[in-house]
Amino acid sequence: MILTILSIVLILSGLVFFLGAAVGLMRFPDFYSRMHAAGKGDTLSTLLVISGFALYQLRDIHDLSHDWPVLLVVLKLLAIVVFIYLTSPTSTSALADAGWEDGIDPVIEPGRENHLEDDCHRTPPSSPQP
Amino acid sequence: MKAKIFASIAVTITGAILLYAVTDFPNFGDPRSPANAGVEGGSSSASLYYIENTYRDTKVPNLVTAILADYRGYDTLFETVVIFTAGMAIFAILRVLRNEDAPSAPDPESTNRTIDGDHHRIIVGITCRIAVPLVQIFALYVVAHGHHSPGGGFQGGVMLGASFILIALSGSLRDALARFSEASYIRLASLGILIYAGVAFLPLVFGRNFVDYGALRGLLGTEGEEMARSHGIFGVELGVAFTVMSVMFAIFANLSTRGRLKGGL
Repeated sequence: MILTILSIVLILSGLVFFLGAAVGLMRFPDFYSRMHAAGKGDTLSTLLVISGFALYQLRDIHDLSHDWPVLLVVLKLLAIVVFIYLTSPTSTSALADAGWEDGIDPVIEPGRENHLEDDCHRTPPSSPQP
Repeated sequence: MKAKIFASIAVTITGAILLYAVTDFPNFGDPRSPANAGVEGGSSSASLYYIENTYRDTKVPNLVTAILADYRGYDTLFETVVIFTAGMAIFAILRVLRNEDAPSAPDPESTNRTIDGDHHRIIVGITCRIAVPLVQIFALYVVAHGHHSPGGGFQGGVMLGASFILIALSGSLRDALARFSEASYIRLASLGILIYAGVAFLPLVFGRNFVDYGALRGLLGTEGEEMARSHGIFGVELGVAFTVMSVMFAIFANLSTRGRLKGGL
């Protein structure tokens, strides 16, 4: 019972973070902040939702010598988390890098100093390919 | 302009004929349709036979795999040949064999850039180095586990091909071609067809029908004909996986470089 409640709480909080990511994806002003919202949603919310699933699977275990196949399901769920943690930040990074290479400028609040040009040396745009 | 008008007329007529043919299909869930007849009692049908007898005949719990590779082995053999033909068509249309004579061939060095630029490649590169072996292991699992779960040669072959495409995307096409060269993918695509047709042909040697793997009982040393059919299905899936993997990568390599196999994305 306690595991069921705990898993519901985890899944619901993961969904709340997903909602935040979706709102950010729609509302943020430029490419990079939208990528930021989407990348955050992919990692933290997925971790919460999938750990909720794993806990929900564990609720039926009473006798480990008999119920051990449930652990395989939990292991597969955890493997999904590991793969998403490997690949999702990488794809976010590659997308943001591609946007920077392509010359997309971030939106800077008027009046603030733009330090980006000092911090990152942007490579000049490549000559157009024939 | 004229060609466009003719083409659109041809497409419209073909589409209309296809849409007209759709109306002849039985409704979804119609108990009297040819595919479902007999499920609710009444005359026996092919699908009822498969549902009742597949496990007894082949010892394969996944009905789809058994029907695809055993009962309808002819169909799947020529589906594999279709994929092979698609790869050969891409090769015949796109491949430019004389690189130095190609008039507008760009400098290989200038087209050697990857999608994420020449710098910062390390993040994507390292992640793909970790991911590619895992993808390939899972693909082999999908190929071999088609008997018990959704999967089989087509799905596993696509994943194997995608793992090589991932190498080409994260590093360069040259890295991918160093691991899976043009000569080897053409050989493996043909070898896949050869494995499938060979496994299907072997029963003829024992005086049985084409794709009747039960005849391989003596050859494989299994107890009954059911297990021989199960092993025959695995051999066939292996051939499908080889062909699909090679053709996937061949299509990517030729399309992304316009047939020059140099540079790429």
